Amino acid sequence: MNTNTKLQTDMEKIDMATDIAVIGGGYIGLKAASRISESGYNVILAPQHNDTDLNFSILDVPLTEMDRIKALETEVANNTNVEILPMSTLVEAKGVPGDFTLKFVSADTVLEKKAGAVVVATDTAVNPLNHIYGLNPAPNVVSLSEFENLLASEETKKEIQNNEKTVAFLVGFAHEGSPLLMKRVLNSVSELVGMDGCSAYVYVNNIKVADDGLERLYKQCRDNGTIYFKLQKAPTIIQENENLSVTFHDPVIRNDIELNPDIIVYEESLIADKTNLSLAETLRIDPGPMGFLQKENVHRLPVNSNREGIFVVGSARDVQGLSKSWIDVDNMVLRVKQLIGDGTKSISTKAVVDREKCTICLTCYRCCPHGAISWDDKAIISSLACQGCGICASECPMEAIQLIDFTDAEMTERIKEAAAVEAPNAPKIVAFCCQNSAYEAGMAAKAFNYELPAGLQLIKVPCAGKVDIHYILDALVEGADGVLVLACHHGNCKSESGNTYAQWRINDAYRKLAQIGIEKDCLEFATLASNMANDFARIVIDMEKRIGQKKD
Amino acid sequence: MKAKNVMIIGGGIAGMTAAWELAEAGLNVDLVEKSGFLGGHAIQYTCKATAECLQCGACSVEKMLKDVVGNDKINVLLSTEIENIEKNNGYSIKIKKSAAFIDGKKCTNCGICFDKLKENEVIIQGYSKNNAPLYAVNREKIDENKIALKDVCPEGAISVSDKASYEDLTADAIVVATGFDPFNPERKGTYGYAKFSNVISGLELERIKRQSGFPARPSDGQAAQKIAFIQCVGSRDENLGNLWCSQVCCPYALRTAESLKHKNPDLDITVFYMDIQNTGKSFPEFYETCKNDIRFIRSIPVDIFPAENDNLNMRLFDEAQGTTTMETFDLVVLSIGIMPNSENEKLSTQMDIALDADGFFKNSEGLNKTSTSNDDIFIAGTAQGPKNIAASMAHAGQAASGVLKYLGVTK
Repeated sequence: MNTNTKLQTDMEKIDMATDIAVIGGGYIGLKAASRISESGYNVILAPQHNDTDLNFSILDVPLTEMDRIKALETEVANNTNVEILPMSTLVEAKGVPGDFTLKFVSADTVLEKKAGAVVVATDTAVNPLNHIYGLNPAPNVVSLSEFENLLASEETKKEIQNNEKTVAFLVGFAHEGSPLLMKRVLNSVSELVGMDGCSAYVYVNNIKVADDGLERLYKQCRDNGTIYFKLQKAPTIIQENENLSVTFHDPVIRNDIELNPDIIVYEESLIADKTNLSLAETLRIDPGPMGFLQKENVHRLPVNSNREGIFVVGSARDVQGLSKSWIDVDNMVLRVKQLIGDGTKSISTKAVVDREKCTICLTCYRCCPHGAISWDDKAIISSLACQGCGICASECPMEAIQLIDFTDAEMTERIKEAAAVEAPNAPKIVAFCCQNSAYEAGMAAKAFNYELPAGLQLIKVPCAGKVDIHYILDALVEGADGVLVLACHHGNCKSESGNTYAQWRINDAYRKLAQIGIEKDCLEFATLASNMANDFARIVIDMEKRIGQKKD
Repeated sequence: MKAKNVMIIGGGIAGMTAAWELAEAGLNVDLVEKSGFLGGHAIQYTCKATAECLQCGACSVEKMLKDVVGNDKINVLLSTEIENIEKNNGYSIKIKKSAAFIDGKKCTNCGICFDKLKENEVIIQGYSKNNAPLYAVNREKIDENKIALKDVCPEGAISVSDKASYEDLTADAIVVATGFDPFNPERKGTYGYAKFSNVISGLELERIKRQSGFPARPSDGQAAQKIAFIQCVGSRDENLGNLWCSQVCCPYALRTAESLKHKNPDLDITVFYMDIQNTGKSFPEFYETCKNDIRFIRSIPVDIFPAENDNLNMRLFDEAQGTTTMETFDLVVLSIGIMPNSENEKLSTQMDIALDADGFFKNSEGLNKTSTSNDDIFIAGTAQGPKNIAASMAHAGQAASGVLKYLGVTK
């Protein structure tokens, strides 16, 4: 390889702020603050306005643990390494990993804080689902949370017991639910059937038992007298003042069964904190399904967001109880240590901006999926935040950005070399392969001796989003009979949108080829995974067959 | 200060993740794996993508394996078992190296041993190209193949001795990541597993898909057209005393069914189940898609009988009709559950840490499920209880975090 096509690799020494900001003052936020401080960092803990819906999440915790969890409040309050801000809202977040500037508004005051990393630890909220059953809340028609409160107070619990109440629980008809909700229901059921004279009917769709100990709890409740009715759709319910009636059709005995419970407990859903979306916007991280934060991208560890240095834990990212949230917190601590270390880091530059060429159009800022780009009078790429995908380099209209490991000059040369390789009697195929998926799959296909086209040449790219349209056209001009752009499956791109950019460029290339009368068969876009040598072999052989036939 | 040393027992996804995390934090790691390959069960799984990624996590195992193999702080010990563990200011551990193994430093992955000894089944191939070496000696076939093994490798990479060898190692902390045993479906005799060739386990379907790219029937290699998945085989089974949900089988069956349908929309797929468990945070939406593509029957079939052309007749309860009917499938996939590793008992005695009522390792604290009654021993992954790939990785991260806290490794 020609050495002068390679850019000088710079090592950059970076000093980072070692204070870590935790957003959310519920128990998950407190646990995060506690664990981060144990690891030697100072913490800025910023409680959000509504960190109050906490009682439910404690319910997935054994009673023996309650004191320890509550002790977190005093522990963190007395921890001199944790600065607790007043109740506030995050309104601005600027900067890069190791150097974020956060602005919080609390009442009339604005607080500005520097942080090396940010942890989002918001809580969930409870959403009653009585309307889906057509039920009106009443003393004998209560939500799961309300029933939990009835059992928690000695007085109301006694009332239920003395009146030997029969309670019907409705679960899984208004929404699919989760093991966490199922656990709450079963905990209440278990307590109820333990009270002499009381009985429980559970009308349930899918019983969500996919968590430790739940199947056992489910069976225990049954052995203690709980009756489960497993139905595909909600029973018919009639609520007339004091009188309640629940009816369903039993498919085995082919008859309707009606029961008249004293109390109906309807289900709730656990929903994302309503501040999540504005936090996502302020922090420029991706929102995910149903108001929880970040997309489910298996290329990232679950606590990582699309931006380096911003982590999402516990119920901020999914319906999770405290036990699972603690797992997130511990994983987040590992990521903080890995990123911030002792506060200084030498890091190699992944991409450089040619300040002569940059016209500060900010295309790069908009397309960077990792929020790694800022600007002074020209664009600046943070070495810590940059993941080296190269989407910016390919999108820059001024060609002002070069990746250190994949410069345009280097790529052009590589394409020329690949297209020049002659295989007798076989079409020449140049495959641009994302290093995270297709390249791995291709190497696996070679290692496992899959039959591959004789004229196949792989060109490794950091992400399919780095395949410029002129790479494709160059390959064809240089003599390739076919060009493949092989990317990760949708939703599986490490850089979120690299595969989408690649597909757009292929479509663009099709139009250009059509203009000069070249058929689109010579170019193909496909997605595959790193562990699928079989898929790789199939895709490249299919192309060989197709263009081979044309050639003959 | 001398870098601390941690031993990790088990080289599946949990063990690999714990090893990588600890190495990233600057510790030295001995990663002990009984078999000839890293990756455990998780590396055997294929991608489940349709037009989009379904978050099965199989590719993240591939990535982790690559990172672990390339990490010089991780000393990978394959074909190695724990013989004895002694606690004395940390741990002294005697490890036992198999009588025959392939030396990774000499092996060139040429595959000559695999090709030449194919008949003997004494050389097995790894599932991933990142397995180093790519081949291993099948422990069960060593004795009758010692001579053949000695001569086959041109590089002299296959070490064959009369008996196992031993070595002493030390560790400041231990992570137990010994994973699970898949349920043996022969125990559910009425399904005819091992009797009817087209009744297979989910793990076997994975191997078939990896090999052929489509659901080839073992009996004739033809693509199956009508497939049944039976859920909860070995899990949630009171008669067997297995009072747990394996947590991975519903996501496995749903994602597999969807990805098979994506490749062949004409496939007819039925899932027999008790309760469908969630796949992830996009579950409600995904489940709706599944309901359009797959027939769901809430009933676990009683038994399976052979039919013509190696097809299978299944008796099932039809809720709509309220009667029992018979239906024919050409491939039946048993979603086998996660069972405690059969060696858990031995290890729990060796390390003096408890097992729970189900035979998994018991965590000593209510909320942190990686802690044991020994403050320098941690559990990671399915050794503690059923988990999917992502949950195993996260649990292993928590175990690594616990190790760092215990050893006083801060920023």
